[in-house]
Amino acid sequence: MRTRKWYFMVVGALSILAARVLYADFRAGYYTPTGPETIHQTLPDVLSTDATYDAGQYPIYYPELAPGEGKAEVENNCELCHSPRYITMQPALPAQVWADEVNKMRKTFGASIPEDTAQKIIQYLGSHYTPETRKR
Amino acid sequence: MAGSQKCVSRRRVIKTLGAASATLAAAQIFGIADAMGQEPSGQQSVQEFTGPGANPYWTSPGQFATYPQKAPLILLTDRPVQLETPRQYFLSTFTPNDAFFVRWHLQTIPNAVDLKEWRLHVEGNVERPLALSFPELVARFKSVSVAAVNQCSGNSRSRLQPRVAGGQWGNGAMGNAAWTGVKLREILDAARVKSGSVQVQFEGLDRGLGPKGFGSNRFMKSLDLTDSVLDECLVAFAMNAEPLPMLNGFPARLIVPGYFATYWLKSLSAIRVLDAPDDNFWMKAAYRIPDTPRGTTTPEEMKSGKVATVPITRMPVRSFLITPDGSMKIPAGFPLRLRGIAFSGYAGIKKVEVSTDNGANWSEAHLGEDAGEYSFRSWSLDWTPKSAGRYSVGVRATDAKGNVQPDEGVWNPGGYLWNKIERQEIVVGNAS
Repeated sequence: MRTRKWYFMVVGALSILAARVLYADFRAGYYTPTGPETIHQTLPDVLSTDATYDAGQYPIYYPELAPGEGKAEVENNCELCHSPRYITMQPALPAQVWADEVNKMRKTFGASIPEDTAQKIIQYLGSHYTPETRKR
Repeated sequence: MAGSQKCVSRRRVIKTLGAASATLAAAQIFGIADAMGQEPSGQQSVQEFTGPGANPYWTSPGQFATYPQKAPLILLTDRPVQLETPRQYFLSTFTPNDAFFVRWHLQTIPNAVDLKEWRLHVEGNVERPLALSFPELVARFKSVSVAAVNQCSGNSRSRLQPRVAGGQWGNGAMGNAAWTGVKLREILDAARVKSGSVQVQFEGLDRGLGPKGFGSNRFMKSLDLTDSVLDECLVAFAMNAEPLPMLNGFPARLIVPGYFATYWLKSLSAIRVLDAPDDNFWMKAAYRIPDTPRGTTTPEEMKSGKVATVPITRMPVRSFLITPDGSMKIPAGFPLRLRGIAFSGYAGIKKVEVSTDNGANWSEAHLGEDAGEYSFRSWSLDWTPKSAGRYSVGVRATDAKGNVQPDEGVWNPGGYLWNKIERQEIVVGNAS
């Protein structure tokens, strides 16, 4: 029994040494369980021979907006004409630039946002999407 | 005796196998990471926004997303759709249709087109208004092809300092295709433009939800009838010899060689001859650049209200290193081939130079096949970095009109016309 124990200890130690010599020049066999998400392939469409050329629907990839007061106003107003990704795509911008953007949407693009709602939206964007406050 | 010997040898085999697997296990647990002196790195996702500094990545940092008829592209926005082309697709002179960038302005964009009903209307100040069906468009006029770069006015907007609001493109809001279609001039001639006409306006099938009369309701662009670019414009029904993807403007789009993509109306439905200059939002207020050299100004000058603006037109000369992309080290002494593309909206590419020492010395690259003056021009240069280090590789193109890429950026409120010399850090490691 005793020799057996010794035998395994020696083999174990030799194995570690052998591994260091054998694999000193490369690293192999590592996988991480935390890689980026995969993307599904899509089923090919069944095509008709008529004159309609249909690409199907365009997917929505809804972003996560920062939680906080004014988020509902963004959802109920800004999102009528465009995805909230128009907000999350932007770099961290100074609060004044966000105020200018909201005013541009109202005056230049004709968005019918009441004054008090616009102020809430401006407050929200200035509280979560500036260089000082932006987290995601 | 024989039996016992067999037994021993079996035991030996088991022991040997055990030792071998212990060796492998030990290699996994102790040997390898130790030997390499570091832990293996996982793949970390990029944070999806940048700023307030300049975007440091080649493309924007958005997620990959799939869309009909498209390879996974970089998502900027999903409604309306804006998708950026990943860097590796620019290794070929012609950008594949399924990788070609996408940019729409208004949220109601075509999903399907019924060619039985679709007509290209030629209307306004003309003697013979036309409503061309798809077969008429293809057969009535002579088909011609042109290789031309389609680049968003705001390509590389995320490089500006200070940052400006808008689509935060890296460098991938561009693509080159062989466009086949009919000459705009022939269509206009068939409709007989009345005298006193000044501009021709283009509109596609996209509509917005904003109120009538606002830019959020309709997207329209116009060109002067005296602009010589009109002689080169096509109404294209084919892109790289295939129908246009729906997201790139099926069944036909305007091609304006040399001009920024804002004029290249997608899913074209109306060509309208105007007897007065177009004062719709997309001409009068948007896509305008300071009337200064390179269209550059400062936030302070803009605020003063004294900066005159003009509509954006031609694309300044640009060039890019596509590969190697800096994502992996290069061993010292490795015979590398630097490869990339160049283009200009003013003339064909005459020269591409590469610096591997941050602009101190420049070597002329080999130019690839010339597919036409408005096409991407591929270039390559062999370079063997002798020793380990961090090399700043810059690329500078010159067009046939003598326009050279400068080493200074621009700033304007729209985030247009970026064409500063691009740099890529190439890390060279020790090879022994």
